[in-house]
Amino acid sequence: MGHHSNWPEWLYVGVIIALMVWVGAEAWNVERLVEHVPADAEVIIVTAQQWFWSFEHEDGTKEIGTLHVEAGKAYKFEIISKDVNHSFNIHDYVVLMDAVPGRVNTVWFAPDKAGEHDIQCREYCGLLHYNMRGKLIVEEPSR
Amino acid sequence: MRNLLGLFLVLAILVVIPSVDHVFAQADEPAKYIDRRVLIWNLFFKLMTVAFTVGAVVSGTLIWIVWRFRETHPQAKPTEYEKSDTWGGPA
Amino acid sequence: MTLELQKPRPIWQIMFSTHHTDIGLLYLILSIAFLFLGGVLALIIRAELFFPGPQIIADSMTFNRIFTVHGTTLIFLFILPSASAVGNYFVPIMIRYKDMAYPKLNAIAFWMIPPGGALVWLGFADFTWYATPPYSIISAPGPAADMWIFGLKILGISSVLGAINFIVTIMKCKHPDMSMGQIPLLAWSFLVSSMIIVVAIPTFAAALLMLLTDRLGVSGFFNPAMGGDPIAYQHLFWFTFHPEVYVLVIPAIGMMYEIIPRFSRKPIFSKSSGIFAFVLLAVVSFSSWAHHMYASGMSFTEKTVFMVGTLAAVPASGMHVFNFIATMWNGRIKFLTPMMWSIGGIALFFSAGAGGVANAAMPLDFTTHDTYWVVGHFHLFVMGTIAFGTIGFIYYMFPYVTGRMYNETMGKVHFILSFIGAILVFFTQHMLGLLGMPRRIFDYPEIPSWIIGNQIASVGAMIIGVSMVIFLYNLIYSSAKGKPADIHDPFGLGGTYYYPFEAKTPHHN
Repeated sequence: MGHHSNWPEWLYVGVIIALMVWVGAEAWNVERLVEHVPADAEVIIVTAQQWFWSFEHEDGTKEIGTLHVEAGKAYKFEIISKDVNHSFNIHDYVVLMDAVPGRVNTVWFAPDKAGEHDIQCREYCGLLHYNMRGKLIVEEPSR
Repeated sequence: MRNLLGLFLVLAILVVIPSVDHVFAQADEPAKYIDRRVLIWNLFFKLMTVAFTVGAVVSGTLIWIVWRFRETHPQAKPTEYEKSDTWGGPA
Repeated sequence: MTLELQKPRPIWQIMFSTHHTDIGLLYLILSIAFLFLGGVLALIIRAELFFPGPQIIADSMTFNRIFTVHGTTLIFLFILPSASAVGNYFVPIMIRYKDMAYPKLNAIAFWMIPPGGALVWLGFADFTWYATPPYSIISAPGPAADMWIFGLKILGISSVLGAINFIVTIMKCKHPDMSMGQIPLLAWSFLVSSMIIVVAIPTFAAALLMLLTDRLGVSGFFNPAMGGDPIAYQHLFWFTFHPEVYVLVIPAIGMMYEIIPRFSRKPIFSKSSGIFAFVLLAVVSFSSWAHHMYASGMSFTEKTVFMVGTLAAVPASGMHVFNFIATMWNGRIKFLTPMMWSIGGIALFFSAGAGGVANAAMPLDFTTHDTYWVVGHFHLFVMGTIAFGTIGFIYYMFPYVTGRMYNETMGKVHFILSFIGAILVFFTQHMLGLLGMPRRIFDYPEIPSWIIGNQIASVGAMIIGVSMVIFLYNLIYSSAKGKPADIHDPFGLGGTYYYPFEAKTPHHN
């Protein structure tokens, strides 16, 4: 071939590269903000096992299936698993992190309004994976 | 026509994205903690704005080509390669 | 080989033949058979999810087994063999050699697939197509999981043998007058994808062996109870299977590179940019595997590296799209079935790619990872692009495999229904993912938006199912009773074809 010019293709590739650089930069920036855990976040230990969630608050209170938190505070989840891989997910608050046995994975969030939200498992974990659900109850601030 | 396509993409980068950025930036009000929902979903909608813009250009081009260069189009004419039979196949 | 039904031979002559077109025919029949088997499983899954609550499938274990075998079948027993079918027919002819470099190895590679497929289907394992430990070690039941491991082992070896054969055939057996640059793009696509297979698959083969010994309890590579690391398996697995995505898609793009210039009556816009983009895709395919694992607790740095590696694949994919569009530009396009499938494939390729860019952006993983978004995304690739390209090519090959013409109207109806169905299913699945529906679930809570989404997706799947029945009927009816094809120009386009009807008929063994 070679009897046509190549510059439109170079321009096109340049535009794609520019777009991808932009996507990467935006994503990098948001990830940087989202990953920064506030220093005063309360720790909640989340334990995943086939096929339910249990939670342990900083003051030692334990809960199974339902998690109570207060609006206006930041919480840091330390997620562990007792058997197989799970994935801790509060879709309404865009919280997601795998529970991998032998590891402690962390993710944080700060609920802003009182309300009720679903907690679910997003990583395949066997027989009752579809029903490994819980509730997040965000309460009004106590003070 | 291909120049136009490139032009539209450049315009998308220079004009559309910064303005979208600006609109989203105003929605962020100072709070004690950042709201991950706002940040992540804003990123998502920004990317979708661009994806659908580019998608409209690409599929628009594709549809136009398919319509214009179909062999039943009134202005369709044999390509220069048809006479010499040199468009692929064993050389 | 060609004109099989006009000059019949006893079936064992085809089965025990080592001629490349005979083996291509065997690959083709096997892959179409598994396309329908895997497709039926998909329809069962979609039917079950039409309403919340169990209806068709008795329990979640059966459901889990069904989606596991669905995925394994369509990737390993449909897409890979169908690409091999095309490669076997066309690569030796395109490089002007009498056969593949190692005909017996070729036959061995094919005949490893039926036992591998039988192990997968008779076992019917439940641990998803990626068999993640520790579930696959401590929880997955009985012989099924072990049979899957052995089945995949056999299929992996078969892929590697086939890939070695393609590489040697193209590099060493091409006609001495032919330079690498003169090799057609379809053959190039097989060269590049074979090289990816040879580099990528051994990693998975090793991981499978470790998985097996872990299951037997003699080792603890991936078992945290014995000091192992489940994440290590995910790295090994995705190091193979992210490049594997490109192994699947590159031959499909190669097929479009054969069809689109043919039906546009123009040469490819830029062959060198096609070759360059293939090679670039192959290289960057190894830089992005861990983008499947953002949520497994990776550090910010790791995520950034793999995001950049993933985005690096976009320019190369974009160059292919550019090439297709520029080839059609100023052409005189004849819209027969193969061309329609190819153009549909390009259109969906863009959507799948755009979804892929969104997936690569790391914060979006919190919203989309392991939801139906991901299901929709990769199905757009494997069905919307790869299967579309492949099915188009099956129509393209049909006249000289059988010597007869397929029914054009049925082919077009098949395409239109499949295209509508694919949009209904896979775009809706993207939406379901954004609404938070996790993948691999047997049942879902009665959230109205989820119910509507699932019903639209199920209707779309049934439309694809209907179109595939038309496809099957067309294949069977036309190969027996279709009108004889003009073997020199079955599509009435003029020009010279790469049709292997000149290949010697293998009456020797």
